[in-house]
Amino acid sequence: MPEIVTPHFGRLAYEETSIIEFPAGLPGFEDEHRFLLVDHGASRPVAFLQSASRGSLCFITMPVPALACAFRLSASTEDLRLIGKDSGKQPEIGKDVLCLAIISIADDGTPTADLLAPLLINLKRGLGVQAIQEEPQYSHCESLPLQSEESACS
Amino acid sequence: MRRRAGDSILIGDAIEVQVIETAGGRVKLGISAPPEIPVVRGEVKATCDANKRAAGLLTPERIALFTARLGIKNPQAR
Repeated sequence: MPEIVTPHFGRLAYEETSIIEFPAGLPGFEDEHRFLLVDHGASRPVAFLQSASRGSLCFITMPVPALACAFRLSASTEDLRLIGKDSGKQPEIGKDVLCLAIISIADDGTPTADLLAPLLINLKRGLGVQAIQEEPQYSHCESLPLQSEESACS
Repeated sequence: MRRRAGDSILIGDAIEVQVIETAGGRVKLGISAPPEIPVVRGEVKATCDANKRAAGLLTPERIALFTARLGIKNPQAR
């Protein structure tokens, strides 16, 4: 079983079937195509997008619906094609794709979420893309709610 | 400067920006530039910067602070 040594999770063994392939990499990391979604039950809703090639490269992510219940996906046709979801309409978050926001954390622990360019993951096919929104409603650095409660949009 | 569809703008000797089409509040541009000059949408550059910042800021201490704020378990190996 392949392994990657990481500063946050130590030695991570993984199944090849767990790899999420980002055909276009990520903006700023265009050569990084293979990632693992590290999701410890007790840490949910937080998940970590860990590079399977570079142990030092890792992103904190959170599900977009947990951050912005009014979020409407407006991914480009090209981005949807990269994850095999180019049916002519936007995929349904939570049903067709996992939609995650990359989180940045300031010195004092204050987090912000990138809701302008969320990660879209087709779990069935193990494909991902960072989809810059064609009709953005939010910015790259939206403030987070601090509670880990269920979505307030019930 | 104001341009219509079919008009162009020259930047230096080697870069040309042409307005191909305007419709519905959007403008379709054609850009010719030498290969050594990257041409990207502004949002791509902004996303690039945001990703580098997010990755660069990720330290064990910040993960611990963040998970503590959320009241969830710190998943990092001891």
